[in-house]
This record gives sequence, C-alpha cells and structure tokens, in this order.
Amino acid sequence: MNSTIFSYFSQSKELSTIISGLSKSLGFDATSLVAFIVFAIACLVVVGALATIGGLGTYAERKISADLQARQGPNRVGPYGILQFLADGVKMILKEDIIPANADRFTFILAPFLCMIGVFATLAVVPFSSGFTLTDLNVGIFYLVGMASLVGVGVFLGGYSSNSKWSMLGGMRGASQIISYEIPATITIISIVLLAGGLSMGTLIGGQGGMPQEWYMFHNPFAFIGFFVYFISALAETNRAPFDLPEAESELVSGYHTEYSGMRFGLFALAEYIEVFVVCGVATALFLGGYKVPFELGTGAILVEKLGLDIMLAKNIGQVLELGSFFTKTFALYYVVIWVRWTLPRLRVDQLMTLCWKYLTPIAIFNLLGCAVWMYAFNGKSIYSLIFETASTVAGHH
Amino acid sequence: MFSNTLFMLSAALTLGGAFAVVYSQNLMHACIYLLASLFGVAGLYACIGADFLAATQLVVYAGGVVILMLFAIMLTGGTGNKINRYGLEKVAAMGNKKTYFTAGFAAVVTSLIILKIIASVLRAQPSKELAANQVTVEKLGTLLATDHILAFEISSVMLLGALVGAAIISRPRKEKHD
Amino acid sequence: MSTLNLDVYMPVVILIVLATLVAGGSLLVGGLIRPHNPTKLKETAYECGEEPIGTAWANFNVRFYVIALIFIIFDVESSLMFPVAAVFKRFNEIGLGGTLLMSVLTFVLVLVAGLVYCWKKGDLDWVKSFHATKVNIAAKEK
Repeated sequence: MNSTIFSYFSQSKELSTIISGLSKSLGFDATSLVAFIVFAIACLVVVGALATIGGLGTYAERKISADLQARQGPNRVGPYGILQFLADGVKMILKEDIIPANADRFTFILAPFLCMIGVFATLAVVPFSSGFTLTDLNVGIFYLVGMASLVGVGVFLGGYSSNSKWSMLGGMRGASQIISYEIPATITIISIVLLAGGLSMGTLIGGQGGMPQEWYMFHNPFAFIGFFVYFISALAETNRAPFDLPEAESELVSGYHTEYSGMRFGLFALAEYIEVFVVCGVATALFLGGYKVPFELGTGAILVEKLGLDIMLAKNIGQVLELGSFFTKTFALYYVVIWVRWTLPRLRVDQLMTLCWKYLTPIAIFNLLGCAVWMYAFNGKSIYSLIFETASTVAGHH
Repeated sequence: MFSNTLFMLSAALTLGGAFAVVYSQNLMHACIYLLASLFGVAGLYACIGADFLAATQLVVYAGGVVILMLFAIMLTGGTGNKINRYGLEKVAAMGNKKTYFTAGFAAVVTSLIILKIIASVLRAQPSKELAANQVTVEKLGTLLATDHILAFEISSVMLLGALVGAAIISRPRKEKHD
Repeated sequence: MSTLNLDVYMPVVILIVLATLVAGGSLLVGGLIRPHNPTKLKETAYECGEEPIGTAWANFNVRFYVIALIFIIFDVESSLMFPVAAVFKRFNEIGLGGTLLMSVLTFVLVLVAGLVYCWKKGDLDWVKSFHATKVNIAAKEK
C-alpha cells in the first residue's frame, strides 16, 4: 500500500539492473541502499525547490502587496527585482547574532530548529504528483497534522525563551491560536477522509478526478463549505493575516520573534513561508483534485495509445503534467493567501477565539455529520453525477 | 537494515530524552526533553508496523500534551525563580542524588515485574518474519465499528466527562457576596 | 514484500536530518563571516527603549490552559474518528452504512453536548471578566 518515489523509479528497468549489479559487487541486497540514495536525492531536490519557493514567497508577498497598493515593490536586484530574496538571505546571514543576556539560551537556540523540523517533516507526504510523492504513508494526512503541530511548540518556545514581554505574549497567543485552529482543520479533514475512505494521500486524491465537478470541493454542499473552513483554519494555523496576532506589529512589536535577529529570524520566516505552501498543497490535494489532470492524461495511457510513445516516456510526460496541475492550483491558493493578507484588517484576540470555537468548530462538526449523511443517503455519489443521472432519466422519459 | 537504524535512533531518542527529563533542573527544558522522548516512542511504534499508533502519538502527545504541559508550567510563572510565592522549592527533587537513587530503584523493580510478565513471550520461539505492511487504520476502524463499538461509544462519554471536568476545574470561583 | 518494509519512513528521517543541517549549516556559515561585538545594551530585551523591568516569565492567565485542555479532548476525539471515518465508505458499499452512521452520530453528538455545555457556561468566552460582571449586574438588578 505504501508507495513511494522509489517504487515509481523501480518501474524502469535501469534501476533494477543497477540494484542487481550493486548487490553482486557488494555481496548483500542493495535495494535498501539504492532506495536510500534515491530518497536522499529526492529529498534534496524537494528541500531545494521548497526553500526557493519559500524565498520567492517573500518576493511575491512584497510584489503583490505593491501591486495592490499601486506601488513599485522590489525592482532593483535582478530583472523585476526577482533576486531580492537572495539579497535578503545574504543580509540575514551577515547580520550579527544577538542572544539576550537574560534569555534561556538552550530554548532560544532550539526554537527555530523545532519550527524547521516540523515544517520540513511534513514535506514527506506532500503529493507533488502520483510518482513524485516522497513517501505515500498509509496514515499520510494524519502524520502531516501531527508533524505540523511541532510548529506550535517552536513558536511558543521562541516566545518563552526570549524573556521579553512582547515575545512572551506573542508566543502564548501563537501556541493557543495554532492548537485552537487545529480542531476545525482536523475535523474538516475527517469529513474528506469519510468521502475518500482512506488516510493516505494517494487514496484521498484517487477518489477525485481532473475536472472540477469531480473534485471533493464540489462533491456535496458540505464539502464546499468545508473547503472554506479548512482554508480559514489553515490561514490561522500558519499565523497569516488576518490571523497574524502572534506577530502583530501594531501591538506586540514583532511578537514571538522580537528578540531574534539575523539568520535565526530567517529560519522562522522560511519555515512560515514553506508551511503556507504545504497547507495550500494539502488544500489542493483534499479539495481541488490534487495532481489530477483532465482526461486521465497523468497516467500516460492515452499518450501510449494515440501517439505510440514508449511507456516509460509517456509516464514521465504524465508526471510532468501532474506536477504542473498540482503547482498551478497550489500557487493560485498561495496568491489568495497573500491577497487576503493585504485586504483584510487584523482580528482582535477575543474575536479570533470566538471565530474558532463558536463558528468554525460547530460548522466543521456539522459538515462532518452532513458528509456522513450524504454518503449514506446518496450512496457516495457526487451532486454532479446525481444531477446528471436525474437529467438523463428525465430526458429518457420524454 | 534501515529498520535497525530507525529502531536505534528511536530508542536512543526515547532513553536519552527520558534520562534528560530526570537530569534537567529546569522544568521548561525537562518538558522539551519529554517531547524528544515522546517522539522516540512514536518512532518505536513505527518500527513494529503500528503506523496509526505512531501518528496518534505525534498528534496527541507531541502536539497536544506537551503544549498543555508548557501552558501548565506558565501558570506557575515559568522557571524564572526556583521558589514559588509560597516559599516552596518548585523542583525540589530534580537532578540530585535522591532522584537518581529513587529512579534507579523504581526502574529495577518495574523492569523485574515487566520481565516476569513478558517471560512467556521471551521464551516463545520468535516467528520467522514480521507481518507484512498492513493498513492498520482500516483494521482499527473495522474493529472499532464492529467488535468494540461499545468501547468507541463509551470513550465519547468519557471525553465528555473530561471536557466538563476541565471546564469546571478551571472556572474562576464565584465570590460569595452578602 | 512479505516482511515489514520500513523503507517508507526513510524520507521522514532524511528530511528531519536535512532540516537540522540546513538550519545549523546556515548559522555556522554565518558564524564565520558575521560581526560579533556584543555589548551589554545590545543584549537587553527590547522594551520600547526603556530598561526592562523584571522578568517576562510571569504567571499566565488560566484561559490559555482551558483552551489547551479543550483542544486535547477534541484532539483525542478526532484521532478516534479517523479510523472509523476511513472505513465508512467500505461499510457503506456493503450496506452497513446506516449502522455506522448511527454510531458516528452518537459519538459526535455526545461531544457536541459537551461543547454546548461549555458554550452556555461561558468557558469558550475569551473575555471572562466581562461575562461575569454582566451576570452580576443582571443578578443585582433583580
């Protein structure tokens, strides 16, 4: 059941010849060794790509905000200022590293590491395409929820360790906000698990199709509301505006990372931007059909049939199309996240808690029950297929 | 090959974290070491193929209980001063010789009892190979929905009790006028 | 593939190690080239230009703790719901969807009762003092 990027590559003959050759020369079964090398390379690629996306996220943030406010935005470094994030990175590294004298040193150093580990570990199950998922664990989405909760610990410890009042308030707020909004997000995820019948990313996406009417978002009215509940909770979980209370600059200076300077602050920021990508990717996978391409182009079967291509080549083309599909949807959501940030004013902390516990959680529970009843009443059919069937029977009668 | 590595890493994390919890004199640090230890336990669960249990360990313990403990420590005002406002030492017995002696004695007794209990398991012939990768989630779900449905339903009543209890305990006491 | 294949957890371990390496590496590389002139003033915590008064580690409000407690209960609930939700589709296909639906409904509604209780008693309110005074005022008016 567990399929990984390694099992995708082992479809090709070259890899099996390499494995058998290595096994002969080394004298033991080299499958694990080759798997390790493949995984290590793939992980490096993913981490490199995601770090670049996180960096470009800061650039996109500034450029889009500039667009929305009729300004120029960064436009000096590189064409259209696109290399700004590299300049920022160099600046971060060159900044002096200051640890407050009264701070709890051990925790102060550990906090950004916890955020980074929590976010990077979630990348293991993000489904970039059907072949290029680092590892499609059986408990995929549940594992992701668990790993992402490490970020909350990191944010809290960052705030606690600085021994500054602003940081402490920001850290407490951040941790309580992250854990509160985890509840509606998790319950909404359960309602999608109910529709798909499995926890692995492969199963969750496999139940959907490439066309919008086959997505879980348009499966039934409850899932449609669920998408917005999940998206709002995801915004709050990643501390994005309008829920950026832990780092609200108008009241808490800079929140939990007030005392962090240079690269230590950079690690918090990088973790945040990558986490935004991850939650957008999860929203895509759960509600927007994930990596599915219309007309089943992703499997490459049609290409083999119609164009007579080599099977492996056709599969690779299919994978590229799937990657394109996934990244297009995810970046569209990423744009919405930034757009929301520069459009809506920040909530007050009591409004934040009211929104979570008195609106989103009841709605999420209602959606969960609604999805269960829908599954039972209509035998798991989507609203589109119901309309289609009714229409065809009506047309058949006349 | 890799299963050994995973086991070693998880076991080292579990034991090292647990030792550091006892060793540390700072409550906040002890809590972080506990997080490492709980993480290691999740790895150990993954080693024996209980993937859902491992993920639950992450979600409930690493993500939930540790945060709850951190908040609880903050109720007492963190670890800035080692003496609370009633003049009592907060971490009276952490990190001194008494701790090691008590912990060592407790560990010996507990391990003797556990060894006695699992002696039959240890003496039995080990099976040739471990079970194949199974979808433990669906097995669990099927069992919860059929054989153990009563336990499933009663657990919700237990959670309800915990929810109401938590709310009542933390409610500020009403000041009696008149 | 008859034996337990743990290779699927390889990326998890690799990614955790990579995260540590990226974070630690960038700090180490920076350590070689960045300036390091700490002064006493630099190392004080920021408090709007004033000298910090006391420590930030004060006793915190109990409401954070309440939120964490309620969170844990819902967390446990959702981890119990996940396996049942995962088999719902299969049960529905073999015609047992109704029974499972009833058990899920019972399970969730019992917890909803708890949520409603907390809501009515004002435990979900962030600003509790305001609520309490409102009740007091209402009581006095009577």
